[in-house]
Amino acid sequence: MTVSKKTLAGLSSAVVMASMTFGAGVAMAQDGPLRGNIRVVIGSTSTGGDTYQNSTIVVDKLAEQLDLNMKVDAVGASSAFRTLDRDSRGNTLMIFHDQSYLGYLYGVEGYDNIFEKYTVGPTVAINPGNAYLVPKNSPYETLNDIIEAVGNGEEVRVAIQPGGVSEIGFSALKNAISIEHPGQEDNLVAVNTGSQSDKNQQLFDGQADLINGTVQANEQYTRLPEDDQKAMRFVWLTARQDTIEQAPEEGLGQTTREQLLEYVEPNVHVTMGDDETFTFDKEFFFLYNKDMDPAIVDQIDEALTEIYAEGEIQEVQKNSFFIPNFKPSDEASEYLQEKMSRYEEIIENIQ
Amino acid sequence: MESGLSSLLSVSIDFETSHLFFPRIIHWTLAGLFAVILVTRVLPFLAAVTRGERTLPIVGERMDGLRFFGTLALIVAYFYLMTVVGDIFPYTGYGFLFVSMAFVFLMSLMYMHEWTKKSVTIVVINAVVAPSLAWYVLAKLFTITLP
Amino acid sequence: MEFLSLLDITFFLLAGFGALVGIIFGAIPGMTATMAVAVCLPLTYALGLHHGLALLLGLYVGGISGGMVPAVLLNIPGTPSSITTTFDGYPMARKGEGEKALKVCVIASVVGGLVSAAVLFLFAPMLADFSIKFSYVEKFLIILLALSVIASLSSSMLIGIFSGVIGIWLSLIGDYSISDGGNGKTRLMFDFMEPYLFEGFSLLPVLIGIFGISTILLEAEKGVKSDTANERIKIGKGSHFSLSIFKGRMTNLMRSSFIGTFVGMLPGVGGSAASVLAYTQEKNLARDSSEMGKGAPQGLIASESANNALTGGALIPLLSLGIPGDSTTAVLIGAFTLQGIQVGPLFIPENPETWYVMMTALVFANIVMFFLMFYAIKHIAKVVMVPKHILYPIIVMMCVVGAYAINYGIMFDVWTLLIFGILGYLVQKVGLEVAPLIIGFILGSQAEIYFVKSLESFGTFSIFFTKSPIAVVLWLLILASVIFSIVMGFKSRAREKMELTQISGSTQTDSGKRHDTNSR
Repeated sequence: MTVSKKTLAGLSSAVVMASMTFGAGVAMAQDGPLRGNIRVVIGSTSTGGDTYQNSTIVVDKLAEQLDLNMKVDAVGASSAFRTLDRDSRGNTLMIFHDQSYLGYLYGVEGYDNIFEKYTVGPTVAINPGNAYLVPKNSPYETLNDIIEAVGNGEEVRVAIQPGGVSEIGFSALKNAISIEHPGQEDNLVAVNTGSQSDKNQQLFDGQADLINGTVQANEQYTRLPEDDQKAMRFVWLTARQDTIEQAPEEGLGQTTREQLLEYVEPNVHVTMGDDETFTFDKEFFFLYNKDMDPAIVDQIDEALTEIYAEGEIQEVQKNSFFIPNFKPSDEASEYLQEKMSRYEEIIENIQ
Repeated sequence: MESGLSSLLSVSIDFETSHLFFPRIIHWTLAGLFAVILVTRVLPFLAAVTRGERTLPIVGERMDGLRFFGTLALIVAYFYLMTVVGDIFPYTGYGFLFVSMAFVFLMSLMYMHEWTKKSVTIVVINAVVAPSLAWYVLAKLFTITLP
Repeated sequence: MEFLSLLDITFFLLAGFGALVGIIFGAIPGMTATMAVAVCLPLTYALGLHHGLALLLGLYVGGISGGMVPAVLLNIPGTPSSITTTFDGYPMARKGEGEKALKVCVIASVVGGLVSAAVLFLFAPMLADFSIKFSYVEKFLIILLALSVIASLSSSMLIGIFSGVIGIWLSLIGDYSISDGGNGKTRLMFDFMEPYLFEGFSLLPVLIGIFGISTILLEAEKGVKSDTANERIKIGKGSHFSLSIFKGRMTNLMRSSFIGTFVGMLPGVGGSAASVLAYTQEKNLARDSSEMGKGAPQGLIASESANNALTGGALIPLLSLGIPGDSTTAVLIGAFTLQGIQVGPLFIPENPETWYVMMTALVFANIVMFFLMFYAIKHIAKVVMVPKHILYPIIVMMCVVGAYAINYGIMFDVWTLLIFGILGYLVQKVGLEVAPLIIGFILGSQAEIYFVKSLESFGTFSIFFTKSPIAVVLWLLILASVIFSIVMGFKSRAREKMELTQISGSTQTDSGKRHDTNSR
């Protein structure tokens, strides 16, 4: 385990070193339509977050495969979209996740319909960590308890970050309650807050009964003793069952895959009506300028196909608790559009 | 009494318009302070100006117009051209590199009071070396994106 | 002591090298500690976790310290947290005491850094539990306390507060950010500005614009006089540095170090608040603080010890809650995630070796920083010998790089430089004050979020008084601070009047940062 990690770190470091030493001058060795220096902007401003981490993994491999200088810049959603708008030459690419269309569905300023305004590129990975947690001493044992309690008129406050990935699980839960206990869904109250630390703080302060979080950020909190004010417990992972099944067997931290599977469907059932269960996988994909040369789309598709065929990138991704999920552009676009329409229904239902 | 006080203090913020709540407070504070300043400071000052005891800031002061407006013009041109040139060579930092050289050179010349052969040489060398060094270290060694 | 086997020569070399590079980054106007850590983050792939952390912690400590150099010598804060260093550092430099000022700063820095490292080492988990007692309400009060410095910082309280509120107003431009829990809607602007101003003005470009570019504009207006003019800084012409400056300043040093550690520890209360808060408290609590803002070493001690204490403080929530305490540690967290290491409440018990390694690197980096800077200062201070016509274009160029790079390449941030350069120029011309304005700007957006969120949660203004004993203590501090500044205001007015009657000449203080022509 540690050995393979070391080798991988070594390999990726070699890439970095190589791109730094041989990067002088504009790289001219390419023969494909993609030329010059490529900048990949991401929809997050954090270089410690999952978007950046995942993007660097993919972009490093891509740069090596295409023999180009490529650089990930964490400029944030609004700036990333704007930078992409301005450059149709293919020197600017973007990587983002489901927030890109969820922001639009929730009517957040600065988000447009990505399927109309941009070309949707290949998906590359899933972050399966989107989770909901309660305090360890919470009266609610399972998510079902919460659904029942809300159905019986109890108020349950959920700390989320509004307008996207963090809210979609909340919306689905609300939708499920409106289906199972019509008229009671307003007892599920959103506490709009910001970063993960803000959400945790709401729980510590007793201002929220349930919070949105991630496996990565909250796993250690779930292993604290119950008398610790900070102790939490998972009640729900929104990922699909077969997504979590692809995670490394040792899971994350001290929580094994086996344990994580307890919190996903079908053990946790959030209905969408008609026997359908709501799931949400946070997927990362490329976005391109609409007027960009389609040959570049193909070039990147091909390069990624080769990279994923080699099989090495999957190991790197899994080590960082990402689930490899490569779909070429056309397939990805269709798939994501379908995904969006499912969530659109939920959001419309609860309005 | 108590309930009267607590209802006075209670407030409910609609999330949809919560972005305007704090700015509104700030606007009123600003307006209030401005009114006080207008009465206690600005009006007496203006009166002093009309009596000829004080001069208006900026317009009433002596300034080196060439250097001041030259600086502004140079900076505007610098920022603007950096993007334009940078766009020709996407993400190489050449826009920054070339335009900085011109900018540093021109600004140095403008600020220099006595042009001698020696000082102009120093300026030229500086204009070439400083941007190159910055560009090499930042764009190449540290791969920072530059215009 | 298993971890000792992890410490090799490379480890120490990397920490030292990091400190050096960090100092250089911090010392260049516009480049910050955060940036230094961010650009070197990819290198940690190659170095492995422990060596990578040595490098990054070195950069962190060096970068925060390096900020003092341009703050003292050029009146441009090298990093946002060294803003209060300019208040006293630059006036000292104008008196020819640049070298002395820098030495005071270096000593204050190393003490602050080491104190916070000790606190981190001894009390991290305990303090983390304490820090989560601070909810929105208490955080708002902390910000309010820091804002109260505005009143005592300015020569005229009314003008100062007005400038401060303008700063707050400017900070609200843009969206009420979703990532802070807002509703993501924009305000205080016209629709056509939205593509540029959606996220508002970024702090760093505003800071270097208002300090750097406006200084250059003011100089240009005066014709950029040649270097023989007597306002040039004469190195070593003023009084020399000796350790006796610190005599009677130990309380200040310790208090500021603890304030810095404490503010660093609170997630979401930005790093720049640390030095502002320490400065406020020194101003309020010192026996004689009348010289502060005119070139008093005590201001430097407060500012620099607090901003270096930030380093240890900000690592507390990072390592014991998994939550970064400031913007640099937010980047630092990447070093862990990239290596597949989780940070959270169990990080220290589960990774004792990494923990000891980090402590070693932190302490070592502080020591290296001290020796590098203390002995290099004589040479660093010579920056001011460079003729202005060479120096200024380079400053503008480096400000451009810094502004452009801070958010990883956004051109509007460069234009922000110019906008705030001109604004800073106008503000000083009409007699408003820059320092309160910038403090208002730094703290404004946080004040909004904590204020509005507190009210959203509790629905009543009374919560600010009744939330917790901590809130009550904070109110007492705020009250003391306000009363103090009022008393000081009266005192200084009385003194001015006396001087005016004694000599009818000009009593204008040569304070460097104030160009007030009419607010007297």
